Amino acid sequence: MPDAHAQQVAVEVTVNGTRRRAAVPPRLTLADYLRERCGLTGTHLGCEHGVCGACTVLIDGDAVRACLVLAVQADGAEVTTVEGIAAPDGELSPVQAAFRDHHGLQCGFCTPGFVVSVTAFLRDHPDPTDEEIRDGLSGNLCRCTGYQGILKAVRAAADGAAAAPKEHA
Amino acid sequence: MKPAPFAYHAPAGAAEAAALLADLGEDAKAIAGGQSLVPMLALRLAVPEHLVDLRRVDELRGIEERDGTVRIGAGTTQAAIGRSATVARGVPLLARATPLIGHFQIRNRGTLGGSLAHADAAAEYPAVALALDARIETLSPRGTGTIDAAAFFTGLWTTALEPDELLTGVAFPVWTGRRGFAVEEFARRGGDFALAGAAVAVELDGDDRVRRCAIGLFGLGSTPLRARAAEAAATGEVAADIDADDVGSAATASLESVPSDLHASAGHRTRVGAAVVARAWRRAIREAADA
Amino acid sequence: MRAAAARYAGARVARVEDPRLLTGHGTFVDDVVRPGMLHACFVRSPLARARILGIDATEALAAEGVHAVFTAADLNPDVVEAWYTLIGRDVPDTPRPPLAEGEVRFVGDPVALVVADDRYLAEDAAELVIVDYEPLTPVPDYATAREAADLVHGAYPRNVAGDMAGPPLEQLAPAFEAAAVVVHETIHQQGYAQVPMETRGLVVEWSAPTGELTLWAATQSPHEVRLFCSRLLGLPEHRVRVLMRDTGGGFGQKVVPQREDMCVMLAARKVRGPLKWIEDRRENLMSAGQARHEHADARIALAADGTILAAAVDHVQDVGAYPTPWPVGTAAAVGMFFPGPYRVPQATWSTASVFSNTAGRNAYRGPWQMESLAREVLLDAGARRLGIDPAELRRRNLLRRDELPYFNPNGMPYSDITPLETFEQALKMLDYEAFRSEQEQARAQGRHIGVGTCTYVEPTTAAMALHATEGATIRIEPSGKVNVYVSGGSSGNSIETTVVQLAADALGVDIADVSTIQGDTAVTPFGGGAAGSRSGSMTAGAVGETAAVLRERIAAIAAHKLEAAPEDIELADGHARVRGVPESGVPLSEIAALAYFQPEQLPPGVPAGLEASGRYRPENPIIWANATHLCTCEVDVTTGEVRLLRYIVSEDCGPMINPNVVEGQIAGGVVQGIGGALLEHLAYDEDGNPVATTFMDYLLPTAADVPDIEYGHIETPAPGPGGYKGVGEGGAIGAPPAVVNAVADALAPFGVEITRLPLTPERITGLIRNASAPHGPRTTARVDDPNGPNGPNGPNGPDGPNGPDGTSSASATGGAISADVATSAGGESGADGVSGVDDASAAGSAGSAGGAVGR
Repeated sequence: MPDAHAQQVAVEVTVNGTRRRAAVPPRLTLADYLRERCGLTGTHLGCEHGVCGACTVLIDGDAVRACLVLAVQADGAEVTTVEGIAAPDGELSPVQAAFRDHHGLQCGFCTPGFVVSVTAFLRDHPDPTDEEIRDGLSGNLCRCTGYQGILKAVRAAADGAAAAPKEHA
Repeated sequence: MKPAPFAYHAPAGAAEAAALLADLGEDAKAIAGGQSLVPMLALRLAVPEHLVDLRRVDELRGIEERDGTVRIGAGTTQAAIGRSATVARGVPLLARATPLIGHFQIRNRGTLGGSLAHADAAAEYPAVALALDARIETLSPRGTGTIDAAAFFTGLWTTALEPDELLTGVAFPVWTGRRGFAVEEFARRGGDFALAGAAVAVELDGDDRVRRCAIGLFGLGSTPLRARAAEAAATGEVAADIDADDVGSAATASLESVPSDLHASAGHRTRVGAAVVARAWRRAIREAADA
Repeated sequence: MRAAAARYAGARVARVEDPRLLTGHGTFVDDVVRPGMLHACFVRSPLARARILGIDATEALAAEGVHAVFTAADLNPDVVEAWYTLIGRDVPDTPRPPLAEGEVRFVGDPVALVVADDRYLAEDAAELVIVDYEPLTPVPDYATAREAADLVHGAYPRNVAGDMAGPPLEQLAPAFEAAAVVVHETIHQQGYAQVPMETRGLVVEWSAPTGELTLWAATQSPHEVRLFCSRLLGLPEHRVRVLMRDTGGGFGQKVVPQREDMCVMLAARKVRGPLKWIEDRRENLMSAGQARHEHADARIALAADGTILAAAVDHVQDVGAYPTPWPVGTAAAVGMFFPGPYRVPQATWSTASVFSNTAGRNAYRGPWQMESLAREVLLDAGARRLGIDPAELRRRNLLRRDELPYFNPNGMPYSDITPLETFEQALKMLDYEAFRSEQEQARAQGRHIGVGTCTYVEPTTAAMALHATEGATIRIEPSGKVNVYVSGGSSGNSIETTVVQLAADALGVDIADVSTIQGDTAVTPFGGGAAGSRSGSMTAGAVGETAAVLRERIAAIAAHKLEAAPEDIELADGHARVRGVPESGVPLSEIAALAYFQPEQLPPGVPAGLEASGRYRPENPIIWANATHLCTCEVDVTTGEVRLLRYIVSEDCGPMINPNVVEGQIAGGVVQGIGGALLEHLAYDEDGNPVATTFMDYLLPTAADVPDIEYGHIETPAPGPGGYKGVGEGGAIGAPPAVVNAVADALAPFGVEITRLPLTPERITGLIRNASAPHGPRTTARVDDPNGPNGPNGPNGPDGPNGPDGTSSASATGGAISADVATSAGGESGADGVSGVDDASAAGSAGSAGGAVGR
């Protein structure tokens, strides 16, 4: 019987395309695994109890809260974090570009969770209504923007018009 | 806000999982999607010594329709249920409850079995299972078993599952004929646990009388509830003669232990409960009448 | 010599902060990792008030990975000085021990600090620290604390931290007696909080060999953190370096270091390794502070035509156990600004700051916001009673431009504001008349829609003490590229982009050729940081003054080279040219190379290099800004749900440096205000237990809860550089009154008045039930209908059943149209706060934390 304090579990997780092996204590959350073991600090912890959405990542393509998944539960999975959304050369994804073009972020702390959630949401709802967008965003909390810029950004990204109203880049 | 330490087990099959649970007894918790359990671990409101992870138990996942029931594996995610044409066709009440659970990120991980085993009185799935007289399937070293939903929810976050029993699946009866279904709830914000909610199923006969009906309530007691008196009063009546507000009043007339907290008193929950029952009743009847 | 016309100021320039933040490459304090770093966790009091009889850390110290457990005896004696530059050394500051000493004074009070290898282990060990408490009777309710037998702090009789007052109310008696109507209500606001998405935190690294301390902080003011830390530890200021890159929201919570920060600073010198503390969300909601918890006994005297004759407010605020910083002075602003942007001939005020055994009060976006809530709610109530449309009543009283400058009756010297213009613009954007028609039709169909407004004037850029000046250093590098150094402290206010825009304009260079370095006290000039709606205006001044020095130098060099007069040189597109001779340009890179590498070729008297520092000191101590918020809503009278339909803000923050940033600040503030009006409640039960310590119970608005916000801009320049005014706080001031007034307007046919927040569904249905029950239904009357509930013949009129004998003290004088304002004791089981502490009496200490977390 494993000792709760000493147990280390071997996991293999593919993170942003890179296969990683580690031995982790079973209580380590996926969020802490990504931040502390992988050095991927874009996954932010805003509540650690599954409400704020700042830690959202993709597991096998599905948007999930990384604070509500244990690292051991991600064994064998493909994980995409916010660091894996832009192109390797730094070019912003359409969702990221839309957030920039529409002032969809201010302090930027909640932003990774929104970017990841919206990326998954728009993949599954390529032609959303405004109502669907609001519902789709309602699992991510933002305290700076009042959601106005975010709603515009998602609309623009959905319409494929991410680069619309830009007077100066 | 980090979980306390626990020992971790990841059995490869249901029988192995059940054997582990039997072996570890009260000190163990099964974890499926973990969308209720992990926050409780993080807050150290749950401090199990052992966690039995069901992620490798593939046989717990799946949806199939046979012999007038839709049988759903306990490990099936809410997202998979929400996408399932079989569920949409056979158990529309379950399909309609699904988008009301949390947010899509939660539904991607949260499971049917986890929701029933967690048995939150304000959650949607337990009320739907209760309304539809679902049968809950279990496995333990003693063998397989079934528990009627009516006997499953025994108290606040407690169920009839024995410590050695693994919830393996749920069988939902398929309603046929002129049927209508609706789920209505009222929450402070979308995605929050409802202050009050109702899951209503009705079937009309050829004379537009209520042949049968079921009203499940959530957020209105220490367990999900059936409004059996209101159901009995409506059954056999001509649908058009039934005042939905009366159904709502009857459904909430004799509630006991309605929760009271920061978000609403018992009295407010009860009044809102009557309103959501009435709204769900109207929608279900309209759908059945059009069917 | 001057820069060419602004290319960037006024434009919706994309933010320079965004690429790193959008891709997960920001640097928030929790992202800072140092070699050998240790992790801290606080042991916190589970009781609202208790005597500490003993602390046993034996078991915790023996636990895996534990390095130290500190108590008050270990840390508190090391404090050298602990005062805030913003407040000053000499105010009669309230107590603020790092760790609880002898007595705990709220649930969450830090009692001990555990240091371990990681946060998991630190939390394990914190559970093993045994604290022996002797429970004492808590004082959980500030509203009754002045009469309580027990004291939160023994040295403060009646639990009063301080009070202040204007002239005696009696002086206004003639005005109140002459009034046709006196609206007199006590408006109660619940506690809510800043709730930045990033909690508090810091990393402190002590180097004993060098005597240097390096601190990475989540802060709005790195230089204040440095000053405070140097005083706290008795270290010379230049031996302390504070760094911050990205801070995940502050809204006032991160303007000054709090007790936990003090503990980590003090402990860092006692452990082997850098020490990190990252607050978790439960700690944040339990102990990072509270705001807004207050009530105002307010009265406004109105003539029969709606003219305001006098106004007075008696304000009482909850300051919790350990307010940070000193709360008494800022409370005076509630009184000073109560007259708002209206023509108020006479006024007075008083305010009291009262301790309770709850989390300490701290700064929150528009800390004096209660003045607007009380005033605007009363004005609507007054309009209903007079049978005057509330818009018309405001029109008759709002200050006009030709009346400026105007000293409000408390001596506040308003200038450069446009309250009437913003008000009319907001009404026009709505089409107010059309809405009133729509409302009439909706009411006929049994639907309840309403409109509410709030017009306010706010002080921004108050140039005092810590905030008196702002500095900038601009380095035009040898290549001609530009680096601008300012203090920073952005927690989302886009000040990097602002600086780059302003500097590019001031130097006539492409924005891509400008970078800014902020948040590192080792290299940036001293500055006050992000607070008090000051960053835009003050930083514009600092950049402007500094750039002017460099422009002059560039012009001198270019003139010398081009054989022209310096005053004929113009900077644009990265070139210095003789005005009118476009082909004459010298690239800035060439001028920079001259300045650094060939100083012998510089004209006489021109210093070498292209680097300058400047410091801006505004001439005006305050810059006034103003706005009107307008909200429409629909209320479901069965469930009590409020749905916001339209939300309009017309504001005057002067010329906008970046409209995206301005609108973003407004929207963020508005949604915080909406949250405060409808959802958020940092509630305590009657024993002083916090019941909203998770995001399942502390309800922040989501994208599904907010309307689209529409903006109208009036641009009146303020005195000072660019004419810029502050805009950071106003959104949070205007929203609660606008929402409350909209809901009250929707429910006017029921004869209800709203005096208590938040407007939970239950409170709304309770108001309707209580208003309706004793007097029968009144669902059809209009507010301006003489037979309506508040008209002279209606049930609340002088001859109605609810006449001037109600419990709320509207005084009727002169026999004119006058009536009681319906009381609002509503809800059941004390849900309107009539017993216990606000609404929490029905909650039970468990709240729903016992499992209603996540799904």
